[in-house]
Amino acid sequence: MIKSLHVALLETKIFLKDKAGLAFSLLLPIAIFSLMYGAFGGQTLFYGTAHVVNLDDSGAHAQSLIDQLNEVENLDIVMLTEAEAQRKLDRSDILIAFYIPEDFSADIESGQSTQLSIRQRGNGGSEGQITASIFRSIVEGMNQQLQVHAKVATSVAASGASQQQINTVVENYTATEQQTVSVNTLEQGESPDPVNEFLPGIVTMFILFGISMNARALYEERKRGTLERLITTRLSITQMFAGKFIAYVLRGFIQTLILFSLAYAVFGMFTPASFFQALVLSLMFSGAAGSFGLIIGSISKSEGQAIWMAVFFTMTMVMLGGTFFPIQEGTVLHYISKLSLNTYINDALKSIVVHNNSLASVWPEILIMAGVIVAGLLLSRYLFRVIAT
Amino acid sequence: MPDEFLTAENLHKSFNEVRAVNGVTFSISRGEIFGLLGPNGAGKTTTIRMLSTVLEPDKGDVNIGGYSTRTSAAEARAILGVCPQDLALYEDLSAMDNLVFFGRMSGLDSKAAKDQAETNLKLMGLADRAKGKIAKFSGGMKRRINLAVSLMGNPELLFLDEPTVGIDPQSRNNIYETIEGLRDKGMTILYTTHYMEEADRLCNRVAIMDGGQIIAMDTPEGLKKQIGDPGKVTLEDVFLHHTGRSLRD
Repeated sequence: MIKSLHVALLETKIFLKDKAGLAFSLLLPIAIFSLMYGAFGGQTLFYGTAHVVNLDDSGAHAQSLIDQLNEVENLDIVMLTEAEAQRKLDRSDILIAFYIPEDFSADIESGQSTQLSIRQRGNGGSEGQITASIFRSIVEGMNQQLQVHAKVATSVAASGASQQQINTVVENYTATEQQTVSVNTLEQGESPDPVNEFLPGIVTMFILFGISMNARALYEERKRGTLERLITTRLSITQMFAGKFIAYVLRGFIQTLILFSLAYAVFGMFTPASFFQALVLSLMFSGAAGSFGLIIGSISKSEGQAIWMAVFFTMTMVMLGGTFFPIQEGTVLHYISKLSLNTYINDALKSIVVHNNSLASVWPEILIMAGVIVAGLLLSRYLFRVIAT
Repeated sequence: MPDEFLTAENLHKSFNEVRAVNGVTFSISRGEIFGLLGPNGAGKTTTIRMLSTVLEPDKGDVNIGGYSTRTSAAEARAILGVCPQDLALYEDLSAMDNLVFFGRMSGLDSKAAKDQAETNLKLMGLADRAKGKIAKFSGGMKRRINLAVSLMGNPELLFLDEPTVGIDPQSRNNIYETIEGLRDKGMTILYTTHYMEEADRLCNRVAIMDGGQIIAMDTPEGLKKQIGDPGKVTLEDVFLHHTGRSLRD
């Protein structure tokens, strides 16, 4: 055991001397986490932009439509000329634009029907679809008001009421009208915290990235002959692998500790209990990832092989683990995702961090990771012996 | 042979279809320096790797100090040291760190490893560079550290695989003197080299390998006598006599 600890200490010393590697493994996770939080986090409401081409510059109804769009919360209105809109659509700078035709107000005033246009690339994108829905809803409301106005005007035409009186009646009527069918939104708890959603995936992704460093380190040690030299000492291969394993786990654990501490300090994430439990889970996952690093390092015959095998493994695990996109239950991908270690660790971490469950509730995931650690260490030791001889 | 410390019996090793070692048999007495000579690809390094327990022979057996490397590899490793042909050091660490680490791996406790590291650094004339990073050392200094590492743990048998390749005469001389000092202390050494004058100077007996087999084995003088007047014939003449003058890969 002492010899293994010496190997672990040596690995750690070498790791700390490699400033670039150190920066990559410790600072990059923080940078990526901050970027992802900046890009997706902090705001769960919809924010969008409606690009409007108004060809009816002086029309009162066109202005009314634009005013109503402006009143929508979280929707910015950008006015474009027809040529600008065309160019932006051609270049995919925007995916959707709303056109108010030249005779829009005049047609409405004269009682004729008129048509607004929406031009879009493909389906207009998710933001475009939401914006179009808002636009249609406003147009629908406007349409109803105009129809009511026309009916009132027709029914009171014989009484000699003035246009002003008709407008007042219509406004009062539409303002006090009881809706037959309406929707009531009830709030059930707070919005999910994006930090809680992102963090498990990012932590596990970076622990997995460590596989590449571990595999490369083992290959490099073999290449420079120190591995063979170690074999001729009293150090057994099992002790040597145990030492390297400890160093890899320690490295992953330090990464995790930094990210979790950051999340705790900056975002107020974790309770003391969930902090500790999440660290325990990450330690287990670091162990599983460390054993994979040893397997890849044992079978790699070049640095390129070590790195690319690790990258392939890491990306596959991350994708299947649902870090970048959710995987729906019942789909084929859902069953395939069971092959990914990330699926288990992400689920377990979310259970602890988001739902405040205890480690006891994620024992199947812990058991799976423990199994992977044992199997990975045995397999890597066997493969190393086979390749070495 | 009296007090045989190492015996290699009928060693065979193939890699895929290539026979690297094909029936090598020899023994080394305690306190002897045994030279293993041969052109490139003769099978010297593969033989040393089998003797030092890195490779398992396809056939045959190795016995070191009474321990078979097949059945008692750990015990055999406890009494051997290896100075590999290529430098096997942690370049990012200091000379002292390298020596202490390998000392610990050879079974020394912390204080003994540090004491022996200091002694070996003095022996190699590198005491003042103990804290220097290996990556910053010259080729000769690295070679000397490579040898110093192999001495950690007081091995009884030392494998030296071309320890003087590519270094200046001063470093080479330091290594010669160190090896002679080890011989005087009774250490058993297996030595491979391409420098014939080196083998002539240091070795009690020499084996010449080619094509995975030992084709000649005797004292340097005995080998010279086999082909002419020992006063006029050099070990290089003997070597070329046995292995020919055709170029090797």
